[in-house]
Amino acid sequence: MREVAIIGAGSTVFGKLPDKLPYQLGGEAARAAVKDAGINPRDIQFAYCANLYGGMVIGQAVLGEIGVTDIELTNIENACAGGATALRKAWWDIASGLYDTGIVIGVESMTTSPIAGKLIPPAKGDITGELGMNMVARFALSQRRYMDMFDVSLEQIARVSVKNHRNGCLNPYSQYRKELTIEEIVNSRPICEPITLLQCCPATDGAAAVILVSENLVKRYTNKPVFIAASVLKSGDYSFRWEDMTFSDMTYKCVNNAYEMAGLGPEDIDVCELHDAFAVNELQHYVELGFCQRGEEVRLLEDGATEIGGRIPVNVSGGLLSKGHPVSASGAAQIAELVWQLRGEAGDRQVAGAKVALAHVIGGEVTGLESGAVSIHILKR
Amino acid sequence: MKTRVPFREGLFEENSGKGVLLGARCQQCGQIIFPRREACLNCLGNDLETVQLSREGKLYSYTIVHMPSEHFEPPYTIGWIELPEGVKIFSQIRGWQEYPLETGMNMVLHFEKLWEEEEKEVTGYVFRPSGKGKGI
Repeated sequence: MREVAIIGAGSTVFGKLPDKLPYQLGGEAARAAVKDAGINPRDIQFAYCANLYGGMVIGQAVLGEIGVTDIELTNIENACAGGATALRKAWWDIASGLYDTGIVIGVESMTTSPIAGKLIPPAKGDITGELGMNMVARFALSQRRYMDMFDVSLEQIARVSVKNHRNGCLNPYSQYRKELTIEEIVNSRPICEPITLLQCCPATDGAAAVILVSENLVKRYTNKPVFIAASVLKSGDYSFRWEDMTFSDMTYKCVNNAYEMAGLGPEDIDVCELHDAFAVNELQHYVELGFCQRGEEVRLLEDGATEIGGRIPVNVSGGLLSKGHPVSASGAAQIAELVWQLRGEAGDRQVAGAKVALAHVIGGEVTGLESGAVSIHILKR
Repeated sequence: MKTRVPFREGLFEENSGKGVLLGARCQQCGQIIFPRREACLNCLGNDLETVQLSREGKLYSYTIVHMPSEHFEPPYTIGWIELPEGVKIFSQIRGWQEYPLETGMNMVLHFEKLWEEEEKEVTGYVFRPSGKGKGI
């Protein structure tokens, strides 16, 4: 199996961009990644493009914007894990020796999607969906149980949103660049109790892309390659096996596979982007990812360990909460952020000396499973 | 008079108000699943018997939703009810305006109108506080 390196990353600024069509967003990110990599677009041999709501063969429209046609191109849907799924597939296509050079794109325009202004429902006809389930409610149910069983307060959970919005202020790609107070977050309007508006990621339009090459081609393009040390993707297990809805079994299993694959552990991670679609998720994922023991997660946050400059900085980009969450783009955008972090190019939000980074996304609601998909990537320079 | 139709076939029997949810127990591994399937989702065994699930359970978690869904206007409440068999049922929660909800409280199964569409009254299961307070 060959080593695979990321040699270029690009992203649009995230935000509410209804005047840009999905393929234009994707094209902008792809163009930025190509420029960053210093590669001739015609040298790209294959592509994966992740998208949920944009319609038919959007990857072809995206790459048509930058002169790339007549290649193996696969469009991917895996809810919030779409971008990471695309990376996983591209990693294997190069690691296996099938191709040498590929591009991964994640793109989503939520403001022009059929569910704009609504809470994201499961697929048509899904039983829980028919009975009133949506993506916010799914995590509100976990949060209610978590607060009641572990005596965690809404104010403590809101601190996640305070931190990530503070980080978002430092990121020119972030949808929101405004600090929030605990009071503003707790007192914002209820969406699915106990989750209030400012504990939620916003609806976001945006795209991100990365360019990958095999190890033998790295020197041709860059002296700052970022290698993929682990790439793991898992579908959700049955919820009858999921005893504790405050702990993501999927994430726990996935990250342990990833640590094994990389030969690394949680103590080796210098910077992490994790799936903070809702503030509570971040606290729970600290435990599953191994950053602290169960029961220590609130203290980890309150002690500043997950701030930029702390022991294990988390969501330095602003995370989904502040940077925004264009569903299928988020997995790719996390990778772009971590590439910049590992190259020391992240500006005001740079984690000093970061050598190893972890990205985590989870998403998709379907009756009978914990969740749709989870993916972990570990990157190293 | 609108025609009463179940929101999904095969999930429950609605016997004049004393309805039950229908699960399946695997004869091989003992796993109980809801809804029923052709084969056991745990061990893939094919020998399943239909079982009537308990009508009472405990509120595992709940949320009051403040935005509309396909069939429900806000505010409405949904939650997970944990049955003694160990199965968790996702359901609409009714009666929460009269009985403030609390994690762990005792709940009981009812069959009620869920929503209306054209000439049909769509019925299904809901859980309501049983009035017996909080369990474990």
